[in-house]
Amino acid sequence: MGGRQDPVRYVFLRHLYGLDQPWYQQYFTYISHLLTGNLGYSFKYPERPVWDLIATGVPVSLQLGSLALVISVLIGVPAGIFAAVWQNTWRDTSIMGFMLALYSIPSFVIIPVVWVIDLSLYRAGLPALPVAGWGTPQHMILPVLVLAAANAGFIARIMRNSMLEVMRQDFVRTARAKGLTERLVLRRHVLRNALLPLLTVLGPATAFLITGAFVVENLFAIPGIGYLSIQAIGQRDYPVIQSTTLLLAIAVVVMNLITDFGYTLADPRVRIE
Amino acid sequence: MIDIPKQSEQTKSIRPWWVYFFRNRAATISVIAVLITLLSALIGPTLYQRLLPTGQRHVRDGIYQDYDAINGSPSATHWLGTDYLGRDTLTRLFMALRVSMTVAIVVESINIGLGCGLGLLAGYFGGWVDLLISRAADMLFAFPGLLFAILVSAVFGSTARELYGGIGRLLLVATALSLVSWPLMARLVRSETLSLKSRDFVMASRGLGASQFRIIFKHILPNVMWLIIVAATVDVASVIVNEATLSLLGLGIEEPAASLGLMIFRAVGKIESHPLQVFIPAAVITTLVIAFSFLGDGLRDALDPRSR
Repeated sequence: MGGRQDPVRYVFLRHLYGLDQPWYQQYFTYISHLLTGNLGYSFKYPERPVWDLIATGVPVSLQLGSLALVISVLIGVPAGIFAAVWQNTWRDTSIMGFMLALYSIPSFVIIPVVWVIDLSLYRAGLPALPVAGWGTPQHMILPVLVLAAANAGFIARIMRNSMLEVMRQDFVRTARAKGLTERLVLRRHVLRNALLPLLTVLGPATAFLITGAFVVENLFAIPGIGYLSIQAIGQRDYPVIQSTTLLLAIAVVVMNLITDFGYTLADPRVRIE
Repeated sequence: MIDIPKQSEQTKSIRPWWVYFFRNRAATISVIAVLITLLSALIGPTLYQRLLPTGQRHVRDGIYQDYDAINGSPSATHWLGTDYLGRDTLTRLFMALRVSMTVAIVVESINIGLGCGLGLLAGYFGGWVDLLISRAADMLFAFPGLLFAILVSAVFGSTARELYGGIGRLLLVATALSLVSWPLMARLVRSETLSLKSRDFVMASRGLGASQFRIIFKHILPNVMWLIIVAATVDVASVIVNEATLSLLGLGIEEPAASLGLMIFRAVGKIESHPLQVFIPAAVITTLVIAFSFLGDGLRDALDPRSR
């Protein structure tokens, strides 16, 4: 509160947030409030419950994350299939090299590159996209693409490995020996089996998206959970930090759970074991 | 018929590992890049300052603000220009590389110590020891690493700064990142130890009455050493990126210290007018990540006994 604080106000605020109570009592209050869905009040915006802040951030982050997930699957899966079909040719090496670059180059390097390209489009008088903010579909394009990039590289690698694994199996040789066309072998026998391991990627992919969202949301000034968390950390807004931490942890656990269930549903072999 | 290896094949297989390593061109270039980075982090700042006459050296100390050259372009005094406060970019870059390398070394020391130690214990003794260590590793493994590091720095960041200043932040970042790294190392070492444990030479040693201590350190550890080196090298790439990310988000290294992530973050707002300030650190970090990845791959191909 600074040097010229009002002692009465100090005591009042301390009592208001329950900071004058012993830590075990504070913890008990926190947990019991949590169970009733009360996350407390923000230190920074005293009139706003934390629940409010989170409720404005979650839809934005969900939108960003789910769009990025869809885009990365749409890019990664075909790229992986293509590379596996043309295994060890220049098409395979070039596309997998590009995907490896997307995967390993950090997003805060990709973002400035994207910005400069966008800027030169704008200077040339061509239609350019907004580089910050959120709301219209135009605002979404750049952040979603950047967030999807690393994930697409990851998915493409998994997809290629999984395709190659299946292509070595006996039943694929049988299918070829029966005289099926290459296209049918790939579509009916290889692809269906190769898509299975992709389900396991869902867990790590979510983790990727969450950590990636921290950088993307902060650099593109998108009012999502990542942005909110970093703001709260900078302002030492502990109730908000606690709540976003809890939220992200729950998101990760739920995603891992969904992955496990999905795998049991899709693959009968797991159920038997 | 039993296949007896010819003399020439035998001599081929006992060539030292670095013969295989330097056949890989990408790995050779990477090792040169990494050595240049290490060297420039070590002696770069001093050398760069010494190039100026005694009275002017402070211009390149990375802290001094040159008000005549704020956001300056590359010049004879400032080879890579200056930043928004008029500080020399090349010196800041050297300082940032020092931070990156320090964090990488601290993280890998903890990673190797903790991961390798626990992995050996879990793999060799099995039973409840294995169960305890493996479950702890699984727990940390299931949670996204960088998010965990972000949360650790968020919670303890201000305390570390108040207690130990800039060094405290550096060590906090390193600890947070190594907490994330060791489960993978432990898992790799454990599975390798499991397969080594039942091999004939370990049996023979046990039959001769060697102590468990001797078996672990004389027979198993030397045989998992290649795996530890490869895993640690590959991990360095992600440690460098994670440190930069933490600093970019304002959770890691703070001014007046320098970090690649922090340099990008400070310059990103002026990308229209001064793109060089963003792209120099960005290019350096990209080069480092790619170099360490290729280095890890090259080491794996050269050291893995199964790959020959």
